[in-house]
Amino acid sequence: MNCQPKDYKSDLKPIWCPGCGDFGVVQAIYRALAAVGRPPHEIAFVSGIGCSSRIPGYTTAYGFNSVHGRALPIAQGLKIANPDLLVLCAGGDGDGFSIGGGHVAHAIRRNLDLTYIVMDNQIYGLTKGQLSPTSKLGLKTVTSDLGSLEAPVNPLLYVLSYGAPFVAQGTPADMAGLASVIEEAIRYPGFSFVNVQSPCVTFGEDDWQLKQHKAVMKSVASLGHDASDVIAAMRLAQAYGSELYTGVLYRAPQPPSTYDALVRERQAEQQKKALPRERILELFAAKKKETAA
Amino acid sequence: MSVRVQGLDYGKLTLKDALDLAVLIEEEAKERYTEFADQMQLHHNAEAESFFRFMAVNEEKHRAELAGRRARLFGDQPATVSSTMIFDVEAPEYDEARAFMTARHAMEAALRCECKAHDFFVGVLGHIQDPAVRELFDELREEEVHHQALVKREIERLPPDSGFKPDDFADEPVAQ
Repeated sequence: MNCQPKDYKSDLKPIWCPGCGDFGVVQAIYRALAAVGRPPHEIAFVSGIGCSSRIPGYTTAYGFNSVHGRALPIAQGLKIANPDLLVLCAGGDGDGFSIGGGHVAHAIRRNLDLTYIVMDNQIYGLTKGQLSPTSKLGLKTVTSDLGSLEAPVNPLLYVLSYGAPFVAQGTPADMAGLASVIEEAIRYPGFSFVNVQSPCVTFGEDDWQLKQHKAVMKSVASLGHDASDVIAAMRLAQAYGSELYTGVLYRAPQPPSTYDALVRERQAEQQKKALPRERILELFAAKKKETAA
Repeated sequence: MSVRVQGLDYGKLTLKDALDLAVLIEEEAKERYTEFADQMQLHHNAEAESFFRFMAVNEEKHRAELAGRRARLFGDQPATVSSTMIFDVEAPEYDEARAFMTARHAMEAALRCECKAHDFFVGVLGHIQDPAVRELFDELREEEVHHQALVKREIERLPPDSGFKPDDFADEPVAQ
């Protein structure tokens, strides 16, 4: 099917602050979806709560702006109920690595074929600038007047450690690169994770906006990174917060079986052991006769 | 450096492809200016909104001219260039917008876009083989120079700037 990016754009106008990184992310998603070519009615987009979690409403796909931190469980349920749907999941760093942090590990080990896009802005923007799980050490916010005392969660290392088979990072400062990693994540058969450095223009740090991203971003491909090497990916992931690496950090060369495929296999095995329908009816009839007598 | 157009071999570009590319570039710019105008409307910034709407109308005019030329020369022959290949060639980048930007800031952003588009055409002209495509791109490059002059004239007609930066008007973070 010949799909264009505008086919995925809904009539709802985004209400993000002008200059927000999420505008570029949603554009990159439209382009990635058009490149994949699945029509909107075959796609479901689930999100949690936060600025970035508004994204499903800005697409023409089926959308569910769900509960804080619970996008992944809902997306998994959706995928199991209808495996033919292309399921995308989106949210912010707070949604994914604070309140919903526990779900990430289980979504990874379950390995359903879905794509999780985190818009990591290192702050709670919707509630006006409190510390988030990825805020850097020493960051001054309304909840950390003297600077944060906690080291940030490293989303890349987190998902790699739990065995995510596809891990990438992008920034809307390089929309072509971002669209390309999102497309690759969608095409990957299994759980795929894309961390998007999407700066908050209102409450984010002045020296970590898209202009700075442009100046410092480095594509991992240009560094000669081998994306099939998980240890090399972890080494790059350790630079989270000090370097801005973009591209595919890890792509498991042998995609592990997905949960939905395993369920189908299990169902097929159980069906082999099951009695034929006629035999079940005979047993029922015999039981009925016995009860009547 | 961000990629502006992906998956095109300029050396093999035909006039039909070049016209399709030019139409898509104008369309992307028109859509982005419309988005910016909508953002400004949401933030009750009528000055910047009106300028961005003006830019959207102009981009649509150019798009329609180019699309008409494409239709006259090539009818409904299928396009091989698609909007998935275009990334902010003439469209303002999203981080150009600010909630409380002045008309001057809006015009300066538009001027940067005209310069960016000019640089794009200058950059690709060296790779073009087909003389008809070269002529078209040279014409488009020249148009960008003309647009730059128009925007500069608009900037000159503005009253002096207040000196405030758009970020000076952003909400101060407050505890909830």
